[in-house]
Amino acid sequence: MNTVNLPRHLLRQVSKPARYVGGEWNSVCKKLPDSPDGDVRPFVRFAFCFPDIYEIGMSNLALRILYDRLNKRNDIWCERVFYPAIDMVDKMRELELPLFALESKSPINDFDLVGFTLQYEMCYTTVLDMLDLGNIPQLTSERGENDPFVIAGGPVVYNIEPMADFFDIVLIGEGEELLPELIDCYQDWKLSGADRNEFLYKAAAIEGVYVPSLYNVSYKHDGTIEAVFPVDEAVPQRVLKRIELDLDKTDFPVDSIVPNMEIVHDRIFLELFRGCTRGCRFCQAGMIYRPVRERSADKLLEQAIEMEAKTGYDEIGMLSLSTSDYSQLGCLTDSLLEVMTPNHTSLSLPSLRLDSFNLGLMEKASRTRKGGLTFAPEAGSQRLRDVINKNIAEEDLLSAMKLAFAGGWSGAKLYFMLGLPTETLEDVAGIAELTAKIEQIHRELPREQRPRRLELTVSTAFFIPKPFTPFQWVPQMSQEKLHEHQRHLRSLIRSRNVKYQWHEFGTSWIEAVLARGDRRLGQVLRLVWSRGARLEAWDEHFDLERWLTAIEDCGLSIDFYTSRERKYEEILPWDHIDCGVNKEFLWQEYQRAQSGETTPACHEACMACGASCFGGGICYEQK
Amino acid sequence: MNKNESEAQSAAVFVYRLVFGREEPAIWLGHLDMMRTFERSLRRAKIPLAWSHGYNPRPQMVFALPISVGMAARADLLDVSCSEPIDPADFLRRINSNLPAGISVSECIAVEQSRDSLMSMVDQAEYLLEAENICMAAEVVLSGNEPMFTEKVRKGKTSSVDIRPLILEWKCHQQDSLYIRVLAGSSSNLRPDLLLKHFVDQGKIAQLSADDAAIIRLKLRLK
Repeated sequence: MNTVNLPRHLLRQVSKPARYVGGEWNSVCKKLPDSPDGDVRPFVRFAFCFPDIYEIGMSNLALRILYDRLNKRNDIWCERVFYPAIDMVDKMRELELPLFALESKSPINDFDLVGFTLQYEMCYTTVLDMLDLGNIPQLTSERGENDPFVIAGGPVVYNIEPMADFFDIVLIGEGEELLPELIDCYQDWKLSGADRNEFLYKAAAIEGVYVPSLYNVSYKHDGTIEAVFPVDEAVPQRVLKRIELDLDKTDFPVDSIVPNMEIVHDRIFLELFRGCTRGCRFCQAGMIYRPVRERSADKLLEQAIEMEAKTGYDEIGMLSLSTSDYSQLGCLTDSLLEVMTPNHTSLSLPSLRLDSFNLGLMEKASRTRKGGLTFAPEAGSQRLRDVINKNIAEEDLLSAMKLAFAGGWSGAKLYFMLGLPTETLEDVAGIAELTAKIEQIHRELPREQRPRRLELTVSTAFFIPKPFTPFQWVPQMSQEKLHEHQRHLRSLIRSRNVKYQWHEFGTSWIEAVLARGDRRLGQVLRLVWSRGARLEAWDEHFDLERWLTAIEDCGLSIDFYTSRERKYEEILPWDHIDCGVNKEFLWQEYQRAQSGETTPACHEACMACGASCFGGGICYEQK
Repeated sequence: MNKNESEAQSAAVFVYRLVFGREEPAIWLGHLDMMRTFERSLRRAKIPLAWSHGYNPRPQMVFALPISVGMAARADLLDVSCSEPIDPADFLRRINSNLPAGISVSECIAVEQSRDSLMSMVDQAEYLLEAENICMAAEVVLSGNEPMFTEKVRKGKTSSVDIRPLILEWKCHQQDSLYIRVLAGSSSNLRPDLLLKHFVDQGKIAQLSADDAAIIRLKLRLK
């Protein structure tokens, strides 16, 4: 086994060397089998790559779940690979050290399969840099018989087209069963001795596997897609995502790795459910994870007890897209607190929808100070909230704030988006009006029933139209207009009780290009990377000019991707991927948005989005 | 102790001193990482920890002397307070089967709860420094008696200190292995990397060999 030696002088010269040495509790080291016999299943080495630094990557649940799942099999060794911080990357290049996995320190090109989990579009150039650091050819077409297969999964792969040139295999949906199946297929292929291409064909036959190189794309004169077609009859026309139907029967990693250094989400997590019933029209997660599937409270309590014992963590968090919608939230919280409090383990509740019931829960759970309440109205006016189907009424918000003040909370953080479809300056002004109303409620409360100092934070992000949402057809608002809307809001927030935070525009612009991009962006990505782009999810490493120049140098137009309204008839770059929710439903939702018509949540009424095709989850429960 | 006695002393804590070592890969942890790592290991080992009172209760753990990133240790000390007595041999077995790679506990001793904290009792430390040409450097520099002024950066401020009085004893083991006994603790303390820096500043060893040096804390001596 090849290993990379990290000299002491290197580790002394970089910040936080603990990122690179492994050895954490519950991390898995295995012995490689001596000599592969003809008959036994080939031992498979899998490098699980997260294209960001250790602290971010270790906080990712998919990594925890799949690491556990794969390592339970004795014919697979799954190891972790993170992107090194910039100081380390530069030193590694200087010393000609290849990118390595934390467990064995083997260079990643020694692995059979190198899998990336992609959580956000801005990690693409980091992926390219990791391949380069790992001496793996970036283009699938350049990889040979001795190179690993490079795989991608995660939420952004629902439109992986901009990265289609770089991934051999893409896994659509949840990986718990899909990934082991792919590895079985790999073992069979390896035993067969067939060539590299043969494995890609075999893999493409597995439900949920997308092999980009087995599809051709042709374009019309106006740059839109003419057709996407498989190169061969054996390759499926469309790829349907894979999901786990019964979460109670799906393993969850109770003996999860305990990092020695502090990470971003430094606690153990319970995954309450997958999917979201709400159907906010801007939200991709709300569509691609359908249908909603819950874990039972009994199972979660059992997992919490086991996790606490096996990790030694003193804090448990809850994970889902909308925790308030968990049907057994009250009884789960009560039983967790009962079991955990004697051990000095605290429960950290995520942001809940503010009503008296949830405030009661949060009060019970908050062991120390009354920390942050967060709240996402997303838009400043009821009209616009109806357009995006964000089901929050102003009265509810205000009465909730009243309860919160009475409960001892001194403020809240409010999240909004700017640049939503149909947004006007009036809607933007609504954000400032809302904060003024909250201030008024605070003022009008009797002195003894309110916190002395009110602290409100307004945070805005720019809306980015995403694939598989009802807004997948809409133009992104122009740069000038977005700036105008932001300036307007800044001018209206004057109170010293309200702090205004906003996201940078440049990243949102490029993210919008990549989110709905096609295969032609592959050359742009490569060019941007070759000019030094990496770790661009971090504002300090992002350079808008570099992107604009590269897009131009490749003869492409940024407006084509961002500010163009797409027609219903247009073939979208991701149309051959099927997340269960069908295009007709999304279009219908888009039409309802334009007339300001709201749509009920799944638990109220079924709108026949298509997700019932999986045969389980909320679609089949009593309403 | 019978049941009545233990109830009468319900607020009493039982202190256990752990003698622990660390080697690769754990030498790359910082002091805060070590605290967090021991706390979680103790919780996994189900050691009955005594918790501090007040707003945000923490387990009561005291390290004799913080250890810097990149430094190994053979016998550092950590006092752990427990809410009930526990057999030291049992403690030792349980903690050792719950520590991450590179950290191990060699001894567990029940000690009296003392008014002075373990930190204030540290007096001297012994180190082994392994680096290319370090003994030649030591022969030249440490044999003399002129002051050894060395620049020290602390909280962004640079000051020059004479480190010679902090060095109590030194011995060359082999050509590249130097033993030193130095003052340690909260009043005067010599960090061995400062001595390496002095050797580099004097042109006696190369920067690279100082950066590549193995630094091992062999022992802590208490007052």
